Amino acid sequence: MAAAPMPMEVDSGNGVLHRKQSIYKSLDESFEIQKEMYRGQQYSQIYFARLHLMRTLLYSLLPTWKPHLPVCTVLGLEEGKECIIVGTIYKHMKLKPSILDEYSKERSASPLVQPHNFINSDDYLVLEDESGRVKLRGTVLLPSVYVTGIVVALQGKETGAGDFMVEDILEAGLPHQTELPLNSGEDKYVVLVSGLSVGSSSANPLHFQLFVDHITGHLGDEKEQGIAAQIVQVIIAGNSVEYPRGLLNGQNLGSKDQSRLSEPIKELDILLTQIASGIPVDIMPGTTDPANFSMPQQPLHRCLFPGSSAYNTFRSCTNPHSFELDNVRFLGTSGQNIDDLAKYSDAKDKLGFLERTLRWRHIAPTAPNTLGCYPFTDRDPFFVEICPHVYFVGNQDKYETSLIKGSDGQLVRLICIPRFAETGTAVVLNLRNLECHTLSFGTQLGL
Amino acid sequence: MPSNKTLVRSSEREFHCQFPSQITPPPTTMSATGNSRKRPPAAATPSPQLKHQAAMEEEELDEDVFLEETLLQYEEEESQRRSVAERLAKWNRPPLSPSYVSQSRNIGHSVCCHVHGFEPYFYISCPPGMGPDDISRFHQILEGRMREANRNSKVPKFVRRIELVQRRSIMYYQQQSSQPFLKIVVALPTMVASCRGILDRGVQIDGLGIKSFMTYESNVLFALRFMVDCNIVGGNWIEVPLGKYKKTTKNLCYSQLEFDCLFSDLISHAAEGEFSKMAPFRILSFDIECAGRKGHFPEPTHDPVIQVANLVTLQGDDQPFVRNVMTLKSCSPIVGVDVMSFDTEKEVLLAWRDLIREVDPDIIIGYNICKFDLPYLIQRAEVLGIAEFPLLGRIRNSRVRIKDTTFSSRYSNKGGTMLMNDVAVSILLNLYASKPSSFSSDYMMKNLVGTTVKLNGPNYLVWSQSIKIFLGAQRKLSHITKAPSLRQTKVMKIATPSPFSTPPTFDQFAMAIMGGRRGRALDSGREKCAHCGRTNHPLDKCWKKFGKPAWAQRKKTATAPAPALLTSELPKVQISQAEYDRLMKFEAGQMSTPSDPHASTSDGVGFIRQYGTRESKEVTVEGRVQFDLIQVMQRDYKLSSYSLNSVSAHFLNEQKEDVHHSIISDLQNGNAETRRRLAVYCLKDAYLPQRLLDKLMFVYNYVEMARVTGVPISFLLSKGQSIKVLSQLLRKAKQKNLVIPNVKQAGSEQGTYEGATVLEARAGFYEKPIATLDFASLYPSIMMAYNLCYCTLVSPEDARKLNLPPECVNKTPSGETFVKSNLQKGLLPEILEELLAARKRAKADLKEARDPLEKAVLDGRQLALKISANSVYGFTGATVGQLPCLEISSSVTSYGRQMIEHTKKLVEDKFTVGGGYEHNAEVIYGDTDSVMVQFGVSSVEEAMNLGREAADYISGTFIKPMKLEFEKVYYPYLLISKKRYAGLYWTNPKKFDKMDTKGIETVRRDNCLLVKNLVTECLNKLLIDKDIPGAVQYVKNSISDLLMNRMDLSLLVITKGLTKTGDDYEVKAAHVELAERMRKRDAATAPNVGDRVPYVIIKAAKGAKAYERSEDPIYVLENNIPIDPHYYLENQISKPLLRIFEPILKNASKELLQGSHTRSISISTPSNSGIMKFAKKQLTCIGCKALISNSDHTLCSHCKGREAELYCKSVANVAELEELFGRLWTQCQECQGSLHQDVLCTSRDCPIFYRRKKAQKDMAEAKVQLDRWSF
Repeated sequence: MAAAPMPMEVDSGNGVLHRKQSIYKSLDESFEIQKEMYRGQQYSQIYFARLHLMRTLLYSLLPTWKPHLPVCTVLGLEEGKECIIVGTIYKHMKLKPSILDEYSKERSASPLVQPHNFINSDDYLVLEDESGRVKLRGTVLLPSVYVTGIVVALQGKETGAGDFMVEDILEAGLPHQTELPLNSGEDKYVVLVSGLSVGSSSANPLHFQLFVDHITGHLGDEKEQGIAAQIVQVIIAGNSVEYPRGLLNGQNLGSKDQSRLSEPIKELDILLTQIASGIPVDIMPGTTDPANFSMPQQPLHRCLFPGSSAYNTFRSCTNPHSFELDNVRFLGTSGQNIDDLAKYSDAKDKLGFLERTLRWRHIAPTAPNTLGCYPFTDRDPFFVEICPHVYFVGNQDKYETSLIKGSDGQLVRLICIPRFAETGTAVVLNLRNLECHTLSFGTQLGL
Repeated sequence: MPSNKTLVRSSEREFHCQFPSQITPPPTTMSATGNSRKRPPAAATPSPQLKHQAAMEEEELDEDVFLEETLLQYEEEESQRRSVAERLAKWNRPPLSPSYVSQSRNIGHSVCCHVHGFEPYFYISCPPGMGPDDISRFHQILEGRMREANRNSKVPKFVRRIELVQRRSIMYYQQQSSQPFLKIVVALPTMVASCRGILDRGVQIDGLGIKSFMTYESNVLFALRFMVDCNIVGGNWIEVPLGKYKKTTKNLCYSQLEFDCLFSDLISHAAEGEFSKMAPFRILSFDIECAGRKGHFPEPTHDPVIQVANLVTLQGDDQPFVRNVMTLKSCSPIVGVDVMSFDTEKEVLLAWRDLIREVDPDIIIGYNICKFDLPYLIQRAEVLGIAEFPLLGRIRNSRVRIKDTTFSSRYSNKGGTMLMNDVAVSILLNLYASKPSSFSSDYMMKNLVGTTVKLNGPNYLVWSQSIKIFLGAQRKLSHITKAPSLRQTKVMKIATPSPFSTPPTFDQFAMAIMGGRRGRALDSGREKCAHCGRTNHPLDKCWKKFGKPAWAQRKKTATAPAPALLTSELPKVQISQAEYDRLMKFEAGQMSTPSDPHASTSDGVGFIRQYGTRESKEVTVEGRVQFDLIQVMQRDYKLSSYSLNSVSAHFLNEQKEDVHHSIISDLQNGNAETRRRLAVYCLKDAYLPQRLLDKLMFVYNYVEMARVTGVPISFLLSKGQSIKVLSQLLRKAKQKNLVIPNVKQAGSEQGTYEGATVLEARAGFYEKPIATLDFASLYPSIMMAYNLCYCTLVSPEDARKLNLPPECVNKTPSGETFVKSNLQKGLLPEILEELLAARKRAKADLKEARDPLEKAVLDGRQLALKISANSVYGFTGATVGQLPCLEISSSVTSYGRQMIEHTKKLVEDKFTVGGGYEHNAEVIYGDTDSVMVQFGVSSVEEAMNLGREAADYISGTFIKPMKLEFEKVYYPYLLISKKRYAGLYWTNPKKFDKMDTKGIETVRRDNCLLVKNLVTECLNKLLIDKDIPGAVQYVKNSISDLLMNRMDLSLLVITKGLTKTGDDYEVKAAHVELAERMRKRDAATAPNVGDRVPYVIIKAAKGAKAYERSEDPIYVLENNIPIDPHYYLENQISKPLLRIFEPILKNASKELLQGSHTRSISISTPSNSGIMKFAKKQLTCIGCKALISNSDHTLCSHCKGREAELYCKSVANVAELEELFGRLWTQCQECQGSLHQDVLCTSRDCPIFYRRKKAQKDMAEAKVQLDRWSF
């Protein structure tokens, strides 16, 4: 394929294709930090809020799970007595990097290169509530699956050694879901893309241009354009630009460096303008974007996008991002939560992590422990109250998708969006039936 | 004592005592004759016949005499504190039941043995021609003089006997084998000193006129005298054979067994074989919290004790069997801990006393307990008028007292202070009047020796730990009417009963108090699993897989009777294998060798002053050793900070949260939850000393030291080195019939002598391997080789008179004459030979040993032997010591100098190109007992071979046992000046062992951390990476960072201890001034005397003195005060850096400290100080700092186009801070071990404390900056 300049209007031989529309409702409010300030608050409060929320929820599930068993606090455990305890899991990890070790900075034999995953066979889990901690034992609960910060209910009893022998686990499970308005008859597509990495050496500007041209209907024949016209929303899930952070060391920049810094953003703005002129576009911040570090990341500032921000189809959103399109509920992140889980726990594929977070009802349990997080005082924005229909994460190695079903008939489409700069792949989701396919762009002419 | 019934009942309910329960009974049945089945009832009747008053002399008395007022004079009233008593009673020592006696051998009973018949005595040389009649007349004269001097005393006879004996003075070589001496036996130990005084001053003797006498062995502490004469060493086992003891009728102490015997019936067992095992000491670790008032350090006169946390561990177990905390007012439960809450402070204190009594600990440990916790408790009880509180010792009704002492290791024989810190078994020494058979004594001497006993059959084996004597017991007895017993104590209201119906485990407990950081041990300290080679994983995990190793299985088999012992003729003593449940952390103790020649060689006095003088409060608790970890740390280790937190971080890699004492009151005044918080903190403080004790194997090392040197353990902590040597000397002299004169304290009048030699250091950076030749135990070897001793020294006049053949004497380089060993073998060489031979044996055994516990004991022993051998030289050179003999010490050093010169000469003569070697060898440096040689070869291996060759060659030229050893190669080697060097240390040619530095600023705590980091990193770069330009660049970058104000504040903090208040300092000091200023600002958080004051130096007006520019780092952070980079550059980092770089760079100063990297300086503006308070703030453009009007908000019109770039900058800053903030605060949660509670820690020793604080503040500021963009 080659890029071809096209007029802005999408027209075809026998008439004008009209882009379909859908009703958009933003649900980002809980992810906004707004006027909250750093006033010396610590992280204990968010854990407390989480425990409180989740415990209320778990308690309500207990009658249907093990109604005959008493509920205890960690402190109230008695040896040999079968009971249920609810608390936050803490995972003791031998390999977990510690900032203390970094600072103590003594030369040691340990290599500075960090492994990708900090799991070790000696890791063990601890359950904590306000009253205390207890070490967990038993084969039911695999330390490799769980991470710090999850709230669960455990059935079991205290052993002679003072550990808690876990016999059964109750996770919060998928939350309630609003009915999916499936099969409304019309195909409407949502395009999900992440990891554009404009400005990085790995990104091929042509790919992105092709992508833009394709979805805006500037490419292909009538049929393709027809499909393009059915795209109702574009989601850019993080890592859209990459700029040389090394330049920002607190010193004044030379004019050359200034432009090196702002060039990728300008480029992104131009392309976004092209999309926004045709299709509504949501842009989420990611780790490499000029946004804050800790979750939830706040929307990219409009001043970065002087061109595209003029369109009302352009929305700068938070990460995580949640919205409804034609009553289909979306929830997604730029990938940090899942990447962090992958560092501290184990699953057969990335989708496994996605599913887990939904069942734990918490999309970022490792925040604040290992994932940077704003120290909220009275709420936990990562708690999933209502089950989304589509749950996506950006910036993954490869495209993966699956459909999971909940016990109450919840149906969730899980999507891992690959990094566009490396794979040239975007994901297209059909709102009608939540089916998914990829859209790949390549610039090598195959023979 | 609660009855056994109570005991069983309560132990069913709550904690179990962890005594060996699976003990297989030995086949022999022992009769339980001679011992009681239960602890005998309290003595109820005073002994009316004991009416004598002990005579006490003012001068030089052994102070451990019980004074009347320390004894309770009233009967303790009926009280009903039964519930507490029951709660505590479950930790009693195992009861003495017949079944126990016959079945187990390692129970740990406490035993008190009253030893009778040992009398204080000393010698004087008998004036020539004194016959038996003269002696009896002399006796009468002396008796009369004594009576004059002790008018108040009602002792019937002061001088018991004077015997004519044949002895010889240890001083000087003498040809005749003995001379007549008079042995003067007096009534009381204190009279030794008084009698000596009389004899020193002179006595009128018929026909001779007034004659003064030189006394011999009159300065030996009575306890030591007893131990020497009975052959008892610290920490050994003592047997009292069947039929030689009698059960006492009146109990004087709280021990389970109490009996009388004669001193001559004691059998002391050398610590070998079975007898090298250690008794299962009960170790109490405790900590108290006090509610201080704002701005004051807690004072016992005002501030209540609010919590006491206690852990009791059986020596060798890896977890405490008692864990409790006593709190004032309610406290929420804590996992694994018995929380006892009380309504009044009195109840708290009494509950603690009851705990002590019930648990009956042998050793009391803690952090700073000797200076703070114990005196505080006692003073507080005094303030509250709780007279019955300080009954903490083992002696019935004897109150614990506080003494202010100045501890200085210039210990003299001035009575000094004898600590009654002894373990478990008490031995009462009883001085009998006339008939040794009658135990009705005139004078009671109490001697608490130490420890737990293994009972097996009718013989008692007593572990002597140390000895304590007291006098005047007969007065005491008259006041004991009824001993208080717990059964009759008052019921105390317990607010919160323990919620546990089952005992929480240690792991639970440890998790509850230590949180997540538990178990991250130092790399060096990690044990390696024998199966999988991994470190730091629970051993039992592997055991499951591979089966237990032999030593771990021993536990079960250990209790099976050892056949070897059973076959011995009698049901003799059997000591069971020490019952140690699990492997204790095994790591060789790193006890420094305080008197090794490196530390003390240049003058003999140095060694004895090495601990300096410390003032302290001393609390004596009879029968219990106080082992204050802070004292031990300060004594044995050189650390930059001795706070519990930093010591724990250093040795255990466990941080604890540090709660500032100003918030303790707030926590106490909160609710049960906040008090629980405090209790957890308090428990941690009790837990960490125990961990330190285990990790550093103090018990093993100190017991071994006591065994080797023969002094009680308490001496090791409270006295200097000389007592150890004296003890060995006395023992040896006794065998040889020699007596040691009491030399008058001569102060430093005897002058000094030339110290060790240090060869000129050829400073430089050596990039070729430097071989180091060391003399093995140089000074001990010299003393052995040349037979240097008191008794081989020939006095100058004798040298002329005796006309000794030259082949029989050695003339030392310093001009003294000593006879060779064929004429007279010296005592010191003999002691040294034994010590070194024993060390060799211990080292050989150590190699063989498989059992980690055995290893620990052996390693402790070899270390103790080494230290002891090295301190002998110092003993002779200590002019204020017990028996200085500068002739010996100066001879030693003169030989040492000769050796070094000799070695240098030989090396440089032999290893030459002319001699067939590739290069000329060059001695670049030599220090005391080592010589550094550059052989010129470039590989480590060649250097090692040449080193070995040289060592063998030169050793051949020395008299045995002097030996030159080749040990190590330094490569590369940075020699700065004498006693300052750094190098990589190689002992095998493949890989270097470590970096070795000496005299270089890596640990000094007056310096800021930046210095240490810089120096360490530079040395790493220079020595390991061999990257000189890299090191230079690193220094330049750091200096630039400093000047640009990019340096992390925690690196710049300087810490100094505040020892007195500002007025008392003569010279103004930065930290004192700051403490004053801080007190004005906020008295609550200002540092108090005793705290360490951290400060940074800030920029101030020109000409301001450094002390005016000190500032609290937190205040600096909060107020954006600029630090003064030049101060740091000039006063802190320049000297150490130049020292390192001068041998390497030509003009280091110019290169490093001046140059382009020092040009750019940035200073942050103070936000609210001085003139800035009057300044009006106006918004500036974020891009170019131009003033802008409020309507523009963010950017000036000029910068409008650069929005994206400038925003990126702001937001990148925020992102960076956010990441840091998250990581720092979650780390603190981790340390704290709880996710749901706020972090309270204010540990300034923590490397992230300031960063954490800074991150919080920076975050808030950066957020404000970022918010300016939201237009």
